[in-house]
Amino acid sequence: MKHILKYIFSFLFVLISVLGQAQVTSKKDSIPVKKERYGVRFGVDLFKLSRSFYEKDYRGLEVVGDYRLTRKHYFAAEIGNENKTVDDDRLNFTTKGTYVKVGFDYNTYQNWLDMENMIYVGLRYGVSSFSQTRNSYKIYNPNPYFGEELTLISEKKFNGLSAQWLEVVVGVKAKLFNNVYAGFSFRLNRLISQKKPENFDNLYIPGFNRTYNGDFGVGFNYTISYFLPLYKSTVKVKEKKKK
Amino acid sequence: MKYLYILVIVAIAFSSCEKDDICDTNTPTTPRVIIDFYDATNPTVLKNVVNLKVIGDGLADEDDLGTFNSVSTIKLPLKTTLNSTKYRLILNSTSTTSINEDLLQFDYSREDIFVSRACGYKTIFKLNSPNGVTQTDPTLADGFWIQEYTIETTNIDNENETHIKIYF
Repeated sequence: MKHILKYIFSFLFVLISVLGQAQVTSKKDSIPVKKERYGVRFGVDLFKLSRSFYEKDYRGLEVVGDYRLTRKHYFAAEIGNENKTVDDDRLNFTTKGTYVKVGFDYNTYQNWLDMENMIYVGLRYGVSSFSQTRNSYKIYNPNPYFGEELTLISEKKFNGLSAQWLEVVVGVKAKLFNNVYAGFSFRLNRLISQKKPENFDNLYIPGFNRTYNGDFGVGFNYTISYFLPLYKSTVKVKEKKKK
Repeated sequence: MKYLYILVIVAIAFSSCEKDDICDTNTPTTPRVIIDFYDATNPTVLKNVVNLKVIGDGLADEDDLGTFNSVSTIKLPLKTTLNSTKYRLILNSTSTTSINEDLLQFDYSREDIFVSRACGYKTIFKLNSPNGVTQTDPTLADGFWIQEYTIETTNIDNENETHIKIYF
């Protein structure tokens, strides 16, 4: 729970900063015909990338992309690969695999003038194919009369595992300069199905992250991306009047 | 620049996300052998043991599992690293005249079963069939105090049922 609060707090922090910037922008009395840019945006998750350098038990890369379908709707996808070794008190295991998430984002932020920021909510369908390697484990014996508390090194690999899940996404994307955007998103995941290893469990799933006793999980990413404009579209007058 | 600053803070906020779970003591994990004591003259009636001192064979006398009194059930942990565990069961252990020691040896196969992230694995046992339990007497002159025993189940995978009945 403490960590979830941290997520929310951090998310709000970013959100406030985006709104803060919006206040600074000067207003004009009359607006000429407003045109908005449409295109694709490609980026990379900097958190996974940087973590690969400072955490020796982790290798991961996530590439993100979105395509603007309408004024508010974006098709969005993430593709990634993770190799993570978890060293718990009683277990040590390595998860390796690839995942794909597809879905859409809905921009709830009303941009002023030619701003192109996003505060969005979205939905993703995620699927992952991975392997688990149990490196070592301990026997839990509440009555260790004979005093044995050994770590059993018995490497066992479970191949061909998979999982599917849904993600609810909330996030922000802010233009840093020109066509470069910084983004942050927080995700709440729910497993739909998974193929578990025999006599072991999927304690970590690439893309879904750590699993808990229930079907829920959390995730986030911090992206830097480049927008490739394809065409411009005029904002309809009707929509402008609503403002 | 402002964003960069914020994002550094965000990164720090998320850097400490890791485990905090502990194995719940109510979770069924590695089971012990449950032994019930019955009256040999009236085999349907439970009988309480008197000063029954239980020591793992090979361990020093003071490293006993306990001295049981006025109970009709004892629980014996098995070795999770070997396929055999031997116990010294000393009845009337405080007496100098009626003290009687019998040895019980359990021979079994083991299997490690996944429980959870916090608990890791547990070991369950399957007694050999036949000869899962062997009774011997270190001092032959006094005879066995355990007149008979029966193996109720060879599968020792929980502590909810009686595995072995001893009649004395």
